[in-house]
Amino acid sequence: MSIWARFSFIFLALIIAGCAETPPDVVSDSRDPFENANRKVFEFNMAVDDVVLEPVAKGYRQLPDDVQTSLSNFGTWTGYPSTAVNSTLQGKFENAALATIHFLMNSLTLGFADLTEDDDDPETEDFGQTLAYWNVPEGGYVVMPLLGPGTVRSHTGFVVDAITNPLGFIPVEGASAVQTASTPVNVVTFRGNNFDQINDVKYNAIDPYAKTRSLYFQYREGQIVGLNPEGVSSSDKAFDEFFEEDE
Amino acid sequence: MMLNRIFITLCAVFTLSLSSAAIAEDRMAQAEQLVASLVERIQTTVEQDPTPAEIRAETDLIIDEFFDYNLVARFAAGQAWRSATKDEKAAYKKAFREVLLSLAETQFEYFRNLEYTAQGVTPKGEKLVVARGMIKDTTGKLPDTVVAWRISTRPGKPIKIIDVEVENISMLITQQQENTAIIRQNGGKFSALIDALEKMAEDIKNGEMTTE
Repeated sequence: MSIWARFSFIFLALIIAGCAETPPDVVSDSRDPFENANRKVFEFNMAVDDVVLEPVAKGYRQLPDDVQTSLSNFGTWTGYPSTAVNSTLQGKFENAALATIHFLMNSLTLGFADLTEDDDDPETEDFGQTLAYWNVPEGGYVVMPLLGPGTVRSHTGFVVDAITNPLGFIPVEGASAVQTASTPVNVVTFRGNNFDQINDVKYNAIDPYAKTRSLYFQYREGQIVGLNPEGVSSSDKAFDEFFEEDE
Repeated sequence: MMLNRIFITLCAVFTLSLSSAAIAEDRMAQAEQLVASLVERIQTTVEQDPTPAEIRAETDLIIDEFFDYNLVARFAAGQAWRSATKDEKAAYKKAFREVLLSLAETQFEYFRNLEYTAQGVTPKGEKLVVARGMIKDTTGKLPDTVVAWRISTRPGKPIKIIDVEVENISMLITQQQENTAIIRQNGGKFSALIDALEKMAEDIKNGEMTTE
């Protein structure tokens, strides 16, 4: 088990065990039963972002474009084995095949360069999405220290992905080190590539916690149901209800 | 006689379905045209290098011309709208509009290098239409983004935009959930939302909102 897997497993256990439920009349969203505890962890994460992540992401954005792209490519590449496994578990065999091909081809450069020249990138699939596919209930919203927002289901998926990432089982020297390196690289590239959007929430929202929670649920729903080209979205229900009440 | 009745009924059903299909086609075309006009209007405005005051004035007009502001404000307020007093509703709508105008003043520049390509329209029942498109950053700094405009087509009401959705994230639902949280966190007081919006508008004006 990699250090990140251990770390995330311990934190998940601590958080779920330690979260005191917030009284229902105080929670601002029924999906967030641990709101009071979550808000404290969110503040902690924002403080860490101030001191570590934001400055590092600023540095990342100063790097030449090619270097930024290479680092992003590396992070994406290390996720392909998990995507292949989870796509298979969800019956998305085409995506699994695509992820496998991308992984194998780009292995020649350790993922730093995209050799596939393929516009059709595989959709990222994680074990949280697999659990959703299997109709496992989502569970409450939990903000994890350093790992950020998620639900009990998505955090569980994260831990399972960390433990079972096929990269950790490849009998090649250095494969485990690559897996370990991928987490901080992914964190920094994600923060850097979404720098303005994240800062907009952090500095400009009236309630950054509530806005982050809303964005998380909508984005995650989009990942799980897929972005339907016919324009169906998870928001439709809210609008239908609004118009019904508005009659 | 019986055959006649069946024939007349079939004709009536056929005519009705044809006319409802025509109405659906019509509102979809109008919705698509509305978005095209909005995009053109914004691009024309950006090209004229407007001053902040001009942007503010133009945005004020755009809100009324293209958006159902009353519906947007009501939706964004969430369930608390019902229990708010008439004065609170008026103050909230004023503060919310002020935030939108102030944001437009500071962020209008983002539109400068964007190109929009319409991709199709989908009806959502009788009251809504979703127009989809792709936003492309001509500088190549931002990835291509799928955008969906949710447009109200309620019978007897003007066709207006009520929401913009980017990669499954609805701007209006995000605003509603944030507003609901503010009210709940302040003991259910609607006035807390008004105060927060007024402060936000003030902060934007004073240049205290930043992404750095």
